Amino acid sequence: MEQKVVACGAGFAGDRTEPAVALAASGRVDAIGLECLAERTIVPGLRARRSDPEAGADPRLERRLRPLLPVARANGCRVISNLGAANPAAAGRKIARLAAELGCRGLRVAAVVGDDVAGLAKHIAWDDMVDGNLLGAHAYLGADALREAIVEGADVVVTGRVADSALFSAELLPILEDDGDALAGATTVGHLLECSGQVTGGNFEMPDGDSLSAADFAELGFPLATVRADGTAEIGLLDGAPGRLDRLTCTLQLLYEVHDPSAYITPDGILDFTGVVFEEVGPNRVRVSGARARGRPERLKVSGFVEQPGFIADIEIGYAGSHALNRGRLAADALRLRLDDFPDEDVRIDLVGVDSTLGAASLPPANRMPEVRVHVSARCRDAQAAQIVEDEVYALTLSGPAGGGSVRSERRPSLAVVDGFIDRDLVATETVWEQVK
Amino acid sequence: MRVGAISVGRSGDKGGTLDLSLVALDEEKYRWLEARLTEEVAQAAISRVMPGIVARYPVPGLNALKFVIEDALPGGVYATLHAGLHWQKAAIWVLLDLELD
Repeated sequence: MEQKVVACGAGFAGDRTEPAVALAASGRVDAIGLECLAERTIVPGLRARRSDPEAGADPRLERRLRPLLPVARANGCRVISNLGAANPAAAGRKIARLAAELGCRGLRVAAVVGDDVAGLAKHIAWDDMVDGNLLGAHAYLGADALREAIVEGADVVVTGRVADSALFSAELLPILEDDGDALAGATTVGHLLECSGQVTGGNFEMPDGDSLSAADFAELGFPLATVRADGTAEIGLLDGAPGRLDRLTCTLQLLYEVHDPSAYITPDGILDFTGVVFEEVGPNRVRVSGARARGRPERLKVSGFVEQPGFIADIEIGYAGSHALNRGRLAADALRLRLDDFPDEDVRIDLVGVDSTLGAASLPPANRMPEVRVHVSARCRDAQAAQIVEDEVYALTLSGPAGGGSVRSERRPSLAVVDGFIDRDLVATETVWEQVK
Repeated sequence: MRVGAISVGRSGDKGGTLDLSLVALDEEKYRWLEARLTEEVAQAAISRVMPGIVARYPVPGLNALKFVIEDALPGGVYATLHAGLHWQKAAIWVLLDLELD
């Protein structure tokens, strides 16, 4: 049965760059997918594009592709990525220029455009639209949008918003058997690969606290998958790459962010994972089968971003030495008194090191904590209101419990993410080609 | 018995929805967990920390339980008033650190 090898070279915008190069250099990989566009990662690109029509691609594009392109080219490994972010056509031109500089003669780049549906705003059914300026609206495209680029032999495929799994399953479209379950299997493989180290031992701990070593985390291998025409696959690591890949790591990644596991909605199909089977067939080698298709959604999900006035001010002040916990609690209580004009739902005051993450579900703190940080976040209507909250924390250095310091603060502008849907027939995609001379 | 003594877990999210997964180490442990960590028990634990209604999805074939909490993260992960971003990556410990009889 025909098969292909696809690999993951990035699972988020800031992911490490070395694993992709190692996978491409192995000579085993037909296509490497780089997932670099989380929900909100597109926002800086949308803002940059307003003043410069050639801006809007992922700012890390060059850092990621400079070491990878020549190696991928030499090993016949296609590169598929959503590094196009808010401007895939411009990203295609940028990649072609970079490839020319690197001496990749004849390299062909395909930019897939059409995910930007801001121009179709009146056709988008928003779940819960809010007031403010709609900065952008992008539909999650499926693997079919990348088919032309793959079939016509692009060396690099660059897109904006697509389903993460499509960056890996698109390569498989030409060999898949013509039944829904084969595509479901390929989409499942994409889903298993799309978070890079999360399937190979990252973000994973056994009940006894056992996990990989620091050295392994520092050099964690990213996954590759040998996928057959029927959509079944074997997930693995390169020989010698540090990591842990077994039934448990695969199951956690399979179920990651899918909501109802019997009906995981992707543009390429609604997937039923309840019959998926993982078999450990060797060290760090897991066979996956049993994903089923339950039809294809008629509408594509749309992500919209709405700029709103105001900021979240997020500030911390630290206390150390004897009685640090007591002084931190006093500081928090003093701030509660100073900020009591804020509605409860707009302010949060807690202790980093004690209960700032899990709140009332936190384990009890030790009596003698060597240090603690007081954290305040407040929703502020404007910059001046944010400044006042920041100043209230700083004021504790003079007028609060002894030894308050190590102050840190940040302000985040308010931005709402809104979900919507659009009929898939309305979303027209186009493949724009660039060729390096 | 601590839930995290017999299972591994991970937190995820989409928009304002928190998405928690637990995978028991084997089938026997899964049955133990499935019988005790009901939707109601999970709801009580979750409600101490965040808003939202818990929906539970058992996946016996994978020895797994999923818990999906809509509107647990009002406004999405960037609108949080927690310190820094992505506190919800640790939210699975609300379940892992539960003691059940």
